[in-house]
Amino acid sequence: MQSLFWLIAGISAVPFALAGEVYMGVLGLLTMLLALATLVLGIGVLWRRRRARALAIALEVVCLAGAALLLILPIGFNGGVVSLMVNVALPITVVVLLRKDSSQAASQESRLAR
Amino acid sequence: MFDIAPDHAIGLSAGLIALPFALLGLKLRGAGRLVPGTVLGASVLMTVSGAIHLGLVWTHRDETITAALFVMNGVAYIALSQMYTWRWWRPASAALITATLLGYLGYIVLNFDTPDQVAIATKLVELTALGLVLVPVRGVRPWRRLRWSALGVAVPVLTVVTVATLWIDTLARPDARHVHAGAILQQTNDVATPDQVAAAQRLYDQTAAAIAPYRDWRKAWAAGYRPGGSQTMPSTHWMNQRYVDAGYVMDPQHPQGLVYANTKHGPVLLGAMFQMKRIGQFGPDPGGPHTAWHQHENICFTPFGIEFSLMTPTATCPVGSIDISASPMLHVWIVDNPGGRFAVDIDDKVVKKLDQS
Repeated sequence: MQSLFWLIAGISAVPFALAGEVYMGVLGLLTMLLALATLVLGIGVLWRRRRARALAIALEVVCLAGAALLLILPIGFNGGVVSLMVNVALPITVVVLLRKDSSQAASQESRLAR
Repeated sequence: MFDIAPDHAIGLSAGLIALPFALLGLKLRGAGRLVPGTVLGASVLMTVSGAIHLGLVWTHRDETITAALFVMNGVAYIALSQMYTWRWWRPASAALITATLLGYLGYIVLNFDTPDQVAIATKLVELTALGLVLVPVRGVRPWRRLRWSALGVAVPVLTVVTVATLWIDTLARPDARHVHAGAILQQTNDVATPDQVAAAQRLYDQTAAAIAPYRDWRKAWAAGYRPGGSQTMPSTHWMNQRYVDAGYVMDPQHPQGLVYANTKHGPVLLGAMFQMKRIGQFGPDPGGPHTAWHQHENICFTPFGIEFSLMTPTATCPVGSIDISASPMLHVWIVDNPGGRFAVDIDDKVVKKLDQS
């Protein structure tokens, strides 16, 4: 979901880039690359790669810190329900789920499969 | 899109109240021993979505069909959220979620409803639930490949289609106070009184006379105005930081900004811009509806090239840009602008004509 949200954000910059905002075009491209990287991380987590799990947690912590900073600063950052869900609740959920010991999760799933 | 419709607020409350009950219900039933975590997650999200739909019934009781659909949807969601051990739970849940999403998009396209924060949040909850319903569980062999394919295609496609539809609808059919994307108008009376017409004319005359010397951009530069964005765009706002900091309120002698068309002959003065210091603090409105201020909300701003884009309905901006709101502003156009002398925007055709002249 997070990868999709960034993909949409990347695509949203395209019309502005076409209208002459060169930097916005570059940022849009970078955002789409971030979306791709997030997707790869998600697959890595699914395949139980330790590094992917650590990187995903790091990514979510950075997102959370950024969102917290923007919420504190008086710049009119959107504090609506969707913004809180996407920028705060989603990263927290991912961190909480990934904190769980992966071996514990595997044993639970194999038990269910039996 | 970034507000909560008054008749939808109750749905949000119902969803939030349902959340702890959904979690408690799973714990009491010992569901964790029966099904995987993804199924539990989907169950909780479907309960929340069901509660939101049921919560909306009361405020939509005058719209019989909509209210009936909310009841059916809410009951179906809550029933399915508790039937996770049923053999056909996955196909039934996936079908219900997909039908709900597409039904809502139909409502939006047919202009029966306008998207707001509660609706978008509910759709995100449902899309996440759909992903959790479709994700195959380790060790379960049947339909594994089909489910991965469905997950890899259905969720991204539905998410992009949902967000795109909501966004296009909002941009194509803005409400009365959202004159264009991201700009919200000051509330005023509907029809200007003769006094307000005269006051607007006075403001225009005084401002036009005060900024006349800045037709020569060098004089504007000397006075402290600097281009505040890309000059590859049709027009650029030139801001005077000294006047911004001083906090002059609608002073024709000290407008915070000037707007220049970027033509092949160089910058051509289009008008002035007054700006208030604080977000949400609209300025004086002597001309009533003629001189309504506007505030840009939910715009993505990047310091690289001082460029802007719009925040997506899912509240994200491109990396390297941040979501901000600009304090209220009022433009005074000294060129013939079809939208009016105090319109939020300058007409593109005016700028093009100046460039070609």
